[in-house]
Amino acid sequence: MYTQYTPSHPKALPSPHESGAPLSVRHSILALLAEVPTHGYGLKTAFEESTAGTWPLNMGQVYTTLARLERDGLVRTAGMGEPDRQTWEITAEGKEALAAWFATPVDLDPPSRDELALKVLLAVAADIVDVDAILQAQRTATMERLQGYTGYLRDADPEDELPWVLILDSLILKAQAELAWIDRCEERLRVAKRTRS
Amino acid sequence: MRDGDEFIDEEGAVVNDEGETMTGGDETTRQATKKRASTGSALGFRSVVRVHGTGPTAVRALGPIDLDVADGEFVAVMGPSGSGKSTFLGLAGALDLPTEGRVTILGTDLAQLGTSQSATLRRRAIGFVFQELNLLPGLTALENVALPLELDGVSSNEARRQSVEALARVQMERLSHRFPDDLSGGEQQRVAIARAMVGERRLLLADEPTGALDSVTGEVVMRCLREHVDRGRTVVLVTHDSSHAAWADRVVFLRDGQILRETRSSRPFLPRVLGPRP
Repeated sequence: MYTQYTPSHPKALPSPHESGAPLSVRHSILALLAEVPTHGYGLKTAFEESTAGTWPLNMGQVYTTLARLERDGLVRTAGMGEPDRQTWEITAEGKEALAAWFATPVDLDPPSRDELALKVLLAVAADIVDVDAILQAQRTATMERLQGYTGYLRDADPEDELPWVLILDSLILKAQAELAWIDRCEERLRVAKRTRS
Repeated sequence: MRDGDEFIDEEGAVVNDEGETMTGGDETTRQATKKRASTGSALGFRSVVRVHGTGPTAVRALGPIDLDVADGEFVAVMGPSGSGKSTFLGLAGALDLPTEGRVTILGTDLAQLGTSQSATLRRRAIGFVFQELNLLPGLTALENVALPLELDGVSSNEARRQSVEALARVQMERLSHRFPDDLSGGEQQRVAIARAMVGERRLLLADEPTGALDSVTGEVVMRCLREHVDRGRTVVLVTHDSSHAAWADRVVFLRDGQILRETRSSRPFLPRVLGPRP
């Protein structure tokens, strides 16, 4: 179903994953093992498939995480599956930890730092730079990014590539929110300017 | 009623040719057609100003603006209310004339057209999709789509054939015998788009066509418009919704009647270890 290719650029995936809490490889591995006992390489490919390949995982990470999970009693070895491949399975404690993770809402508090908001606030506070120029430059960049994400969406099949489409939706809606915020800034600055003059 | 044939005939051959070669939908043909189609101009605005009213109460609604939309291009126009979007669309659709400057539609200077020629240009070359769909409730989806062709003297059989084809393009062929009241909002919108695409219209103008629709249905509508462009036609979309504007090749921002800036589509890098099969 999927073909493998190597990213040509070392840059990490932009939001939503680079900001906020670090990605929980630990719980992801528990979730995959809860479905079926698997060996290390199988975990890597299953993880990448369920995240539409947007979170590359190296084998070192997989084995380190498995070792820690075993130490904590959340997974155990389940003999050799395919030739020379150690299979792992989730324990009862592991299932409990996983259920607790799924049941807990992602903590978005405090909100992650927002460089755009900081730039705008500083520009408004200190009258040294044109706020409108900052907003317009950002609008251009964000709109182009939104057009790009939409281009990927256009080529995607919402049924066959659901994980990929869901990730794109998340990126698209965040870009859209940023554009809406820029519009709002413009409106508020316009009103504030009118009131002052 | 055939007084506008000069400009239609001049360009009509390309469209006819496209209509035949595009039915296979294969990528090479599509690229070739796009390349050929993009040599022409769909819209040209030169130093265009539109002033409403006269004397001391006159209001400059638009301009001066310069803008070119190439044949086969998908352009979205965004801007807050009062930015001149509607005035722009009125001029682009030959529904209005500029106070100053020159507007050309499919190579024809609006100023050179009489009232009936202008009406012919609108009827034969331009499709309109508005938020209010204006589908006739007493006609089926198919009859609604066929109506503008029949009014233009196309035979009933031919109008029907072209309408079925247009409805198929928006995946509405199965519901073509339903009346508008028996269709959902999104389905009605797709019928309205089919009506705007039917025949050899090369320019489609859409004003907030997804206004009343939920986001997933809105996406279906945007896919229809995008596919229309991929067949070599031109779409100009006026919207306040950035997620819909993002389907366009180019987004033009209007503010206070002027073009503030333009953005073009480019793919941001997204690392994908696994990609969909080519």
